[in-house]
Amino acid sequence: MRQKNRGLGLFTFFIYLFLLGPLVIIAFASFEPGSAMKFPPQGFSLKWYQNIFEVSMFKTSFITSILVSLAGNLLALLLGLPAAYALSRFQFRGKAALNAIFISPVLIPGIVLGFTMLKYVIITYNLPVYSALLIGHTVIMLPFIIRVIASSLANFDFAVEEASLSLGAGRLKTFFTVVLPNIKSGIIAAVLIAFLESFNNVDISVFMTGPGISTFPIQMLLYVENNFDPTIAAISVLLMLFTAVLMFIIERLMGLSYFTKR
Amino acid sequence: MKKSYLTLLLLPGLVFLAAFMVIPILLTVGSTFYHEGRFTVEGYLYFFKDPYFLKILWTTLRVSLVTTAICMLLGFPTAYFISQQSPRKKALLLALAIFPLLTSSVVRSFSWTIILGKKGLLNNMLLSVGLIQEPLNILYTPTAMMIGLIHLFLPLIIITLVGVMENIDTDLVKAAESLGANRFAAFCRVVIPLSVPGLIIGGILVFVGSLTAYTTPALLGGKQQVISTFLYQNAITLNDWYLASVVATIMMVITFVIIMIMNMLANKLNPKG
Amino acid sequence: MAMLTLENIAVSYDQQYILKDFNLSVEKGSLISLLGPSGCGKTTTLRLIAGFLDAKEGKFALNGKDYTRVPVNKRNFGFVFQSYALFPHLSVYDNVAFGLRLRKVNKADVDRRVRRMLDIVNLSGFEQRFPKELSGGQRQRVAIARALVIEPDLLLFDEPLSNLDANLRVNMRVEIRRIQQELGITTVYVSHDQEECFSISDQVAVMNKGIIEQLDKPSTIFKYPKTEFVARFIGFNNFITFDSRQENGNVIELQTKGRTFRALHGEGRGEQKGLKGAIRPDDLKLGTQEELGVDFNLLPGKVKVSTYLGRSYQYVIETELGEFTVNKEMEQPYISGQEVLVHFPIEKLIVVE
Repeated sequence: MRQKNRGLGLFTFFIYLFLLGPLVIIAFASFEPGSAMKFPPQGFSLKWYQNIFEVSMFKTSFITSILVSLAGNLLALLLGLPAAYALSRFQFRGKAALNAIFISPVLIPGIVLGFTMLKYVIITYNLPVYSALLIGHTVIMLPFIIRVIASSLANFDFAVEEASLSLGAGRLKTFFTVVLPNIKSGIIAAVLIAFLESFNNVDISVFMTGPGISTFPIQMLLYVENNFDPTIAAISVLLMLFTAVLMFIIERLMGLSYFTKR
Repeated sequence: MKKSYLTLLLLPGLVFLAAFMVIPILLTVGSTFYHEGRFTVEGYLYFFKDPYFLKILWTTLRVSLVTTAICMLLGFPTAYFISQQSPRKKALLLALAIFPLLTSSVVRSFSWTIILGKKGLLNNMLLSVGLIQEPLNILYTPTAMMIGLIHLFLPLIIITLVGVMENIDTDLVKAAESLGANRFAAFCRVVIPLSVPGLIIGGILVFVGSLTAYTTPALLGGKQQVISTFLYQNAITLNDWYLASVVATIMMVITFVIIMIMNMLANKLNPKG
Repeated sequence: MAMLTLENIAVSYDQQYILKDFNLSVEKGSLISLLGPSGCGKTTTLRLIAGFLDAKEGKFALNGKDYTRVPVNKRNFGFVFQSYALFPHLSVYDNVAFGLRLRKVNKADVDRRVRRMLDIVNLSGFEQRFPKELSGGQRQRVAIARALVIEPDLLLFDEPLSNLDANLRVNMRVEIRRIQQELGITTVYVSHDQEECFSISDQVAVMNKGIIEQLDKPSTIFKYPKTEFVARFIGFNNFITFDSRQENGNVIELQTKGRTFRALHGEGRGEQKGLKGAIRPDDLKLGTQEELGVDFNLLPGKVKVSTYLGRSYQYVIETELGEFTVNKEMEQPYISGQEVLVHFPIEKLIVVE
């Protein structure tokens, strides 16, 4: 019995080695002084970190990505928060179908979503790249915003809302003074999770680049097509740090149990 | 009054999704059947008669299936081990599985180029211990693609299964033991059947994810195309939008059929009925 | 003077009527309970009065003012929820002050009224606590204070004690009654616990399937239920079905299967749902004719099951009119199969519909 658990423990250890090992290796490789990536590194140097800032496309695409993710997030929140509230608060006919529609952007292959949007929205209406990116990213963020906020609303006792109504507050006032403060952390977590989804997105953004404009992950892909130096490894380390910080905040806000629910 | 209120809350999001997702998809599907002014299924005939296209489809399906099977095999025991740990350890292990999921797929797939490359870590290790004389060609093959996809999706199935296993009442295992089952039998007769729905849902996520992944095949697959890179190539590089639309429709149909079959299976196999 | 009136109210959900042609009137300053099993429409009635539900038909008025279409936040009613529904993000003080601040009461008055109300519910000193730092009973008192501080025109309780443990429930209902009487505020109280309703109410409405079966003083309902449903609900477990009823002076004569029973009370006429006699297990007598000393309302039977209840024995007696449950205190119990006479005391047999 104990033997079996030890065997399972060892198994789990190797699984985690497989999951996290490559990320550790890439971190070590980022300090390689030579111009080709190696593990273990042949020395210690920060020059590839410096190089990130010298490639101007990284800088502009980073700004593009941040702006698109932030603006898309705001838009997705404006569309998604009322929808999440309505879907959690009320019982009505056709609710399951509406739920499915709002969640569907995660089920439809991203590459298909990107292509159909390119074909029938962007080209048809001759949209500039920035608006195209904004629309595409809002679509993929919407299900995350709705799901996370809905899971936060699931823990909210709607009798509290009725209490506020019975004490004289109107619906809108009640939403802002009673509901919102109690799902605040869920909303922030939703925004952060959606931000990561948007920032890391490749499948949709890949259809929406223009002359001199692309998102950060697309720029990374373009870079590795032509270069094999450790710049990407250095970027990876920074991105992982960034991800870790956001994940820590999400954990503080609402725990990680959201991720285990399907 | 209540109805108009609901509409007010739901309509903006619905209109947005309709305009930028539902309608474009419907138009794309429609365009594959209505081409150059008439109804046709030519695009599909063209696709399914071409051995090169079929090979791409077949490779994609094969890679996705193997990836899903391996993820299930590796994920199940891992998830079981995690679900048996103390809350603190469990939280730590879960966090370590969620972290890669939130990390950019570019970063994660790229990390394998350092390991699998001709002068990469794996070849160096194998050469130095004398297991091989010539460096292995793994990078830019379907195998590399598969390794990258397993790395990408294994955490997903692990955390999904932990979520399901956590909800299995531990008294059930004790009850089975009290009825004479040893620990392994209790695991087989209680834990496994109750985890099947989670395994299936996790399986769907992995299979659909692998089937439609773009970044990993693009970075690790080399010249070997899969259906998503093929779609991209037709749309952007070759500008063959008709074929791209056909491929997009095929991808969606496969995805939906799989989701539906798996959902039906999950409902059927769900011991809770 | 009737203060609260519901006239021909109808409420439907998914094309099914929960309430239909519903009428109720409550007098000023009194506490009325709606009592009934779950699904009887009591909560629907309360939520309709509160304004959380819209009536499909009918009219609801209070003090002569029509409230049927007034939105909930313009009604000025106090509502106490089963789950307390305190604002989790606000302190006890801010919870209670919530309604006053909405009414733009000036700061000094808010402070004075909140403190006075917390004093009334014995929660002085708890102002800065948050709901999650309070016990269930304390939370319920905050909820009551919050509902009362706005000086509501009507106070509504939805099963307020069902989440509390038994001892606390008894204390809290005394408390609720005290505060209600002190402030003389008209109150509608919903519960499925008959003891709770009887102990605090001026009037009790026993509801079943969207209909008020009986509206009376608690003691009247307890002694003289009007319908079989009410009788069953308050512990009349024994019933005899009768064919006809005749008045003979004060005495009601009832016929069934060639037997005549006499009763003194009951308004059952058997016009709609049939005529029945109801009696509590404690009120039935067992014995021989000599022991019982009467020559009417007797029914021969056989002991089928006997159970020891601690204070008394409980018997199930099989007779030609069905089975009856009897509680009897005695040293030497009857044994199964023993023949006995069952006596239905004339003043305890109640005629119901």
